Amino acid sequence: MAEPALTAGGPVALGHDALRELRARRLRNRLGDVEWFDVAYKVYVTALFGGIALAWVSDLVGDEPLTATQAADVAARGPAALGLVAALAVLLGLRSGSQGGPLALEAADVAHVMLAPVDRRRALTRPAVQRLRSAAFAGAVAAGALTQLAGRRLPGTTMAWFASGAVFGAVVGLLWVGTAFVAHTWRLPLAASTTLGLAIVGWQIAAVATSVPGPGDAIGSVAMWGWRQRAVDLVAVAVVLAVVGVGLGRLGRISLEALARRADLVAQLRFAVTMQDLRTVVLLRRQLSHEHTRTRPWLRLSAGGRGHPVWRRGWHSLLRTPTGRLVRMAAIAAGAGVCQIAVLRGTTPALVGTALLTFLLGLEVLEPLSQEVDHPDRTDAFPVDRGELMLRHLAAPAVALMPLTIVAIATGVGVLGLLDDAPPLATSLGVGSLVGLASVLTGAAGAVVSVVRDAPDPLAGTQREVFMPPEMAGLTTSLKAIIPIAISAIGATSALFVRFAVDDGGSPVAVTVRVLVAALLVAAAVATWVRRRDQVRRWYRGFMAEGRAVTAARRTTQPTQEGSS
Amino acid sequence: MSAALSTRQLTKHYAAGSDGERPALAPLDLDIADGSLVALIGHNGSGKTTLLRMVAGLLDPTGGTIEVHGHGVGSAAARAAVSYLADQPTFYDDLSLVEHLEYVARLHGVAEWQGRAHELTARLGLSERLDQVPTTFSRGLRQKASIALAFVRPFSLLLVDEPFVGLDSAGKEALLDLFAEAHRAGAAVVVATHELGFVSRVERLVALADGEVRYDGPPDGADAQTLVIPG
Repeated sequence: MAEPALTAGGPVALGHDALRELRARRLRNRLGDVEWFDVAYKVYVTALFGGIALAWVSDLVGDEPLTATQAADVAARGPAALGLVAALAVLLGLRSGSQGGPLALEAADVAHVMLAPVDRRRALTRPAVQRLRSAAFAGAVAAGALTQLAGRRLPGTTMAWFASGAVFGAVVGLLWVGTAFVAHTWRLPLAASTTLGLAIVGWQIAAVATSVPGPGDAIGSVAMWGWRQRAVDLVAVAVVLAVVGVGLGRLGRISLEALARRADLVAQLRFAVTMQDLRTVVLLRRQLSHEHTRTRPWLRLSAGGRGHPVWRRGWHSLLRTPTGRLVRMAAIAAGAGVCQIAVLRGTTPALVGTALLTFLLGLEVLEPLSQEVDHPDRTDAFPVDRGELMLRHLAAPAVALMPLTIVAIATGVGVLGLLDDAPPLATSLGVGSLVGLASVLTGAAGAVVSVVRDAPDPLAGTQREVFMPPEMAGLTTSLKAIIPIAISAIGATSALFVRFAVDDGGSPVAVTVRVLVAALLVAAAVATWVRRRDQVRRWYRGFMAEGRAVTAARRTTQPTQEGSS
Repeated sequence: MSAALSTRQLTKHYAAGSDGERPALAPLDLDIADGSLVALIGHNGSGKTTLLRMVAGLLDPTGGTIEVHGHGVGSAAARAAVSYLADQPTFYDDLSLVEHLEYVARLHGVAEWQGRAHELTARLGLSERLDQVPTTFSRGLRQKASIALAFVRPFSLLLVDEPFVGLDSAGKEALLDLFAEAHRAGAAVVVATHELGFVSRVERLVALADGEVRYDGPPDGADAQTLVIPG
């Protein structure tokens, strides 16, 4: 045994040398293991899909310069509207910090580096700077790509708009991570973070709706430097840099408990994202945000109650939904309602927002079904057909979706009512209800496909994967990700059709009824797929096996026939 | 004898959804003297791992204080003194065993680490695996590698959580020898375990039940079997 080591000075200095050397060595090891062709392929795919998305959005924005009145409106309201992004970054940063973010070290770094007698602030500076750098870069690329579109309709060159957007995005990225560091190192409780963040967001929303100055206006104004520059905006940039500086200065106070907990979860989360395993991503996100199922249900069902066991199991699960998740579901529903109004008012890309939000809402409410999918051994042990079991699992979530649909409808109708040229309330309610129902219904249908599709297949073999060429595997993976969202988007188009009908002088009610019928048919088709999926697969595999057997038999007999002829 | 470890009114509560918080450790006053060999026993969920992780600095206490040789837990001096052998071994997946040993030793200020590293790996039967990556090891070999990492650096307080899980008999013997050596060299050794056979080797037995100390005294004064029964 070595001597006890309560010595000062020496160990720390040597420790930092070791840390520096190890990081250099690991970098070399990682670079040595990199498959450069794979990296190039990923860059190619990202650039391809990014380019397609950008071209699509560009097409929607158009080239026609804005009128003087419209430009003046953008100049007046733009900073506040863009400042909302900064306010949301603060909300997310505060909450992330209170939940142990934003740093995620490797578990081994926590066990070996953080427990060594080295200066923790110094040891954490590098991962912290990496985090800041990646957030700033992502923000700069995303914001720059979007704001350059403004250069086509507003004064200023495309390049200038891109540059100002990139600076804005980078500042927002830094604000998010810097705020998280500050909230974490000050050990701000989650309730306080959420309250403070919501207050800032609420204030900024008021700034967008009225002429009250908002806390994010100056940051939002940075994005408009492509058009006009205001020196005072630099104060906001300086404040953000100061927040980052304070956060970095307090790195030594980072909670090791949070780092240890996040180390494993974030590693699993990254793997799940790579594997496109949405369910695991959802579960890990819940763990990261300390979201526990309620021990005491909102309402306790009587032990001797009647009803199908699957129906009761569904309600046992849903009645344990934690408050945070309920609030999130209501917010998602409200967000979907707002997106539909945006579509109705001419912002077609908001349709994607509706599709994604209703899809997420479906995933949240389908918890009982997801739990069944998570435990296939248990499911397969029941003396019940798996398809029938899963179909029955849809009943309770469908009922639970109703109040959330009402939230979406009420939000949409409420937002519409605030606008200058709002239609009569009865019309808004009637059309809004149909649009809301169609959107939520197919949103949930897409989520059902996503959940059930990921269920382990007891009949599956590996032959399909073995014989599938890599190009097909990539296409199949992409389709697996896209199909559920595409199904969710069907109902979301209802607002678009209403807009077309109104523009053409037609009846919005008639067109919405047609979309709702289509949505019902989609939901019925998905339900049938859930019920019959295993049977169809069994039949298909039998058919293929029969085909292979026939081909094999023909190959065996062919040489004999040739030989005899 | 001075206290290698001292806790005062130490508590830990975990968040438990709608139930608010679940207490894992009741207010705990505990002193572990320099050079003592202590066994920490208790049923699953009794608070053993929570206590050790708090002393190692991996968990934040809900209340109370922890001092290691008079230094606050988490301070550089405390980290230099404490070696924590966790129940779940953790390794980098891009470093070999010998690179791990070098790294951990040097982080703790040991410039001449090779001799100690080779001695430890030889005793634990890992000499042939020095250039292999420990994440590819079996459960038992990973545990042995983790033991080597805990002992390759200097310490004066050794915290060990369930060290015998997955070890073969040779590994168990090597580990018991290492405990004995650490004890003889004056380090305090605290071992949380379900292996009640180990209890007879220690000077002091601390039994936890539902986060509270149920027994604290010499091992021959208690029936370890009954002490680990919940409730």
